[in-house]
Amino acid sequence: MAQGKDATKKRGNKLGFWFFQSSLRIFGLAGTYGLLYPVCLYYLLCDRTAVSVSMAYIKRRFKNHNAFQRICDVYRLFIQQGKNLIDRYYVVSGQGQFDTELYGYDKIKTLLNTSQKGVILLTAHVGNWQLAMTALKKLGKTVYLLMRPEDNIAVKETLDIDSEKENVKIISTENFLSGAIEAMDAVNKGNIVSIMGDRPYEYSSVEASFLGEKVSFPYGAFSIAAAAQCPVVVLLSAKVSTKKYIIDISHVIEPRYSSRAKKQEEIKDCVREFAAILEDYVAKYPSQWFVFHDIWKRNN
Amino acid sequence: MPNSKEEELTRIRKNLKEMLVKDLSLEDIRPEDIKDNEILFGEGLGLDSLDAVEIVVLLQRNFGLEVKNMDQGKEIFYSIDTLANYVYENKKGDS
Repeated sequence: MAQGKDATKKRGNKLGFWFFQSSLRIFGLAGTYGLLYPVCLYYLLCDRTAVSVSMAYIKRRFKNHNAFQRICDVYRLFIQQGKNLIDRYYVVSGQGQFDTELYGYDKIKTLLNTSQKGVILLTAHVGNWQLAMTALKKLGKTVYLLMRPEDNIAVKETLDIDSEKENVKIISTENFLSGAIEAMDAVNKGNIVSIMGDRPYEYSSVEASFLGEKVSFPYGAFSIAAAAQCPVVVLLSAKVSTKKYIIDISHVIEPRYSSRAKKQEEIKDCVREFAAILEDYVAKYPSQWFVFHDIWKRNN
Repeated sequence: MPNSKEEELTRIRKNLKEMLVKDLSLEDIRPEDIKDNEILFGEGLGLDSLDAVEIVVLLQRNFGLEVKNMDQGKEIFYSIDTLANYVYENKKGDS
């Protein structure tokens, strides 16, 4: 589909990253944020695809805004995404850390301590999920990221997107059966598996209402959790000030099949619950929804 | 007298087909409709990765088997025949 192809075209390149890296060293974090304003204005004026897919979200999130306000909303979204990337590099390059406030830590710690099984972390392209992962180090568990390998070399090298670390391993969705069996094996061994829940990619999906219209959300996380008899913990993060993030892992969903006949309906209920959590999130942090894709468009 | 290998494999294939139809809620498919060499995933029987997760659980529950070696996964999950062979070679409990 042409729209999907364009929407995922690569926007970061090595020169661009070098520019921001140098700026970070010279001007610091706040100074580098300042450079985002002209850069994002360029994208706002010249990247029609990025504006169009962002507008799909903005017009549903801000139903009462007029055309000009919506353009400003898209601009804010771009700037926030830029800050997100700069923050990521700031941490990866060892120039500093962010304060993090973690909600729900005790709950997830108890879940892990009282069961032989691990948990599935269900997250989305909101806030700064990579930084959120860093904050989960103190759980002392290996985190397996079920994800597509990053194919933009500049992004991969600069932002350290899918490199394996001491306690972070990658299960590629390009593996046999999209890595689902490896994910279940990892959970069965007491580890944490992180899955993106905002777009179906290779996984089967069901519809749930999101911002007033039907959207297909993947249910792989719930299906794996039901099979492995483990909980799904929703992981969301949000930037709340220049140097502070909040990380919320307080929402726990326990998918279980009461019978085969009800399986599909029970999975749908889980997906609806997740969609409602995402709706609450974008109500609070409207400029931190970084799913640059028209998820409301049918057959995505 | 113990069953011959072929008899045992036939029994396992039948069990597997019944298990798939019943536990994966395959609609409009009867166990006898599934061919022994039919590809299970994708274009064959049309199962997906999430069905695979459930098959792993079913193998564990019904045959005491754990599928851990993903290098072999592609061969094991190819068809009822390959799945039956895997069960025959590795099963711990009696189905």
